[in-house]
Amino acid sequence: MSDEHEHPHEHEPPPAPTRPVTPDDAGSQALAEALRSSFTIVKFVMAALVVVFLASGLFQVGPQEKAVILRFGKPVGHEQEALLGPGLHWSFPYPIDEVVRIPITEIQKVSSTIGWYYLTPEQEAAGITPSPGVSLVPGKDGYVITADRNIIHTRATLFYQVDQPIHYMFDFVSASNTVQNDLNNALLYTAAHFKVDDILYYDVEGFRDAVRQRVSSLVDKQRLGITVKDCTVDRTAPLQLKDIFDQVTEARQNQIKALDDAHSEENRLTNSADWQAASIINVAQSASTNYVQFVQADANVFSGLLTNYLVNPSLFKQQQLVQMMGRALTNANFKAYLPTTANGEPTELRLMLNREPPGPGSASPAP
Amino acid sequence: MKRNLVTIIIAAVLLIIFALLLFTFQVRQSEVAVVTTFGRISGPPCEPGLHLRWPWPIQQVYKFDQRIQDFQDTFGENYTADSITLMTSVYVGWKISDPAAFLNSFREGSIAAAQSQLQSILTSAKAAMVGSNTLSAFVNADQSQLKFDKIQGDIEQFVQSELRTNNYGIQIEFLGIKQLGLPASVTQTVFDRMKAEREVLISHALNEGQAEANKIRAKADSQAKITLADAQAEATRIEGVGVNEAATTLRTFEENPDLAVFMLRLRALQDSLNQKSIVIFDQRTPPFDLFQSISTNAWGQSP
Repeated sequence: MSDEHEHPHEHEPPPAPTRPVTPDDAGSQALAEALRSSFTIVKFVMAALVVVFLASGLFQVGPQEKAVILRFGKPVGHEQEALLGPGLHWSFPYPIDEVVRIPITEIQKVSSTIGWYYLTPEQEAAGITPSPGVSLVPGKDGYVITADRNIIHTRATLFYQVDQPIHYMFDFVSASNTVQNDLNNALLYTAAHFKVDDILYYDVEGFRDAVRQRVSSLVDKQRLGITVKDCTVDRTAPLQLKDIFDQVTEARQNQIKALDDAHSEENRLTNSADWQAASIINVAQSASTNYVQFVQADANVFSGLLTNYLVNPSLFKQQQLVQMMGRALTNANFKAYLPTTANGEPTELRLMLNREPPGPGSASPAP
Repeated sequence: MKRNLVTIIIAAVLLIIFALLLFTFQVRQSEVAVVTTFGRISGPPCEPGLHLRWPWPIQQVYKFDQRIQDFQDTFGENYTADSITLMTSVYVGWKISDPAAFLNSFREGSIAAAQSQLQSILTSAKAAMVGSNTLSAFVNADQSQLKFDKIQGDIEQFVQSELRTNNYGIQIEFLGIKQLGLPASVTQTVFDRMKAEREVLISHALNEGQAEANKIRAKADSQAKITLADAQAEATRIEGVGVNEAATTLRTFEENPDLAVFMLRLRALQDSLNQKSIVIFDQRTPPFDLFQSISTNAWGQSP
């Protein structure tokens, strides 16, 4: 019974005083409904804004950069610990946190600005050399003064990598400008040590290395937080003197050629002399050996013939002589036999000996 | 009641944000800040981080970039100790070392005003240092004569001293010469001198090349003759050795000198009649002495 009594109290409101439904009540209800809906939307939007606000703190660090989070302006972490590597990271949105990105792995480059003749951007792009003026205009035409007080044009390009990003980014307003000024200083300083011909011709590598060494020394001293990777240097004589410098180069080339020719001749003469000397010595050695062997052979023959000779020397001599004459006369081109005259005297023979007539290739005799 | 709570939270958040904006300020890692209270500097400079302040007009915050600033002065002319007009330009790395002094020295802490002051000091420093050195101190192949780094150091010291004396709140971190030059008219004179030097070099290259080449040839010729003479001497020596060696066999011939001499003569005769010889003989010559018993006047000739 009590249940039955309580039930209507829980589910049915107490009977309100009956009041006729008017248009104003309906409007109030609609307004209340609309406000409720709007409030729900506002709550949803606010929740969404909170989510967007928090999600806006997500950021990505690329493969060639590092990032530092500044919380209320101060780095989160100390020195290297403050550096965030590649990947997805989160920070509080601004103004609590601020993300500073620092390019690190890519090679950066700067070029000197003081040593090269004036070029318009169009001339530089097209690779055109401008017509030289009579003199160089200070502040417009760049150049350096060499150790022997000559003027030349030179320019350098430095390639470097940032290895201490915090120093590079937070210690310098413009670190790249400082690197560029250091490069200018290095070019000037090195040119002040080198003579013009060394820079242009004889010690090009030495000049380049000295520029690089000077820049490296300066950036280390200034704690710029970079490492020099490479340095290239161009150099040329003043455009006003290009022709005369070319003539010097040509004369030096001719000098080198004359020396090369002379050395070639020297080699030829030396080799020829060496060859002839070797030939002379070989011939002498051969002749000497032959002579010794010949004499030895004669001695052997002598020993072999001595026994027969001692038997009858006269007959032996006649025999040998006749045999030799037989062999010799067989080989002779011309043989003449002169019989004795009637009174037993030898026949007189007179010979007129002329010089050998000249060959077809020789010069004709004088008339 | 629930609606009121949400409203209160939102209002509180907005109030906190407003209060933070009004009563705090951030100093970035690369900055330093000075706070003034009713126009007077109060407290030490603020390091990077979050700091409290009273709102304007009670306190005002001045922030300065604490990083090293680049400054390049104008390319100006000065006379060296040897009366040569030399144009120089330097670059300076400077930073604010004392923000309070910097703020007091330059209106609103203006960087431009500070650099203008720096330019003025640098102009004086360059005039003093260029004027006390000769051109050979700036450019020289002799390391002992070159004072490039010393001049840079002297200019830096001069500027540091001026900055300290006047308490500008600025400190020089580094200074270097950026550019050296000569007036336009002087560059033309230098070109004339360089041209004359090049002409001398051309002449030297031509003459020295030919002279050196001739010297090399003469030396080679002489060397070749010496080599041949040495070879000839060596050949003579070798032949002498051979003769000496052969002489040891002469004892064999001493057993019968008559036969030995006969053999030598026989060989000499054979060698002389060996080829292309014309032989004229009469009846006394063996073996033609056999003809003595035969009457003949015939001429014999080989086929």
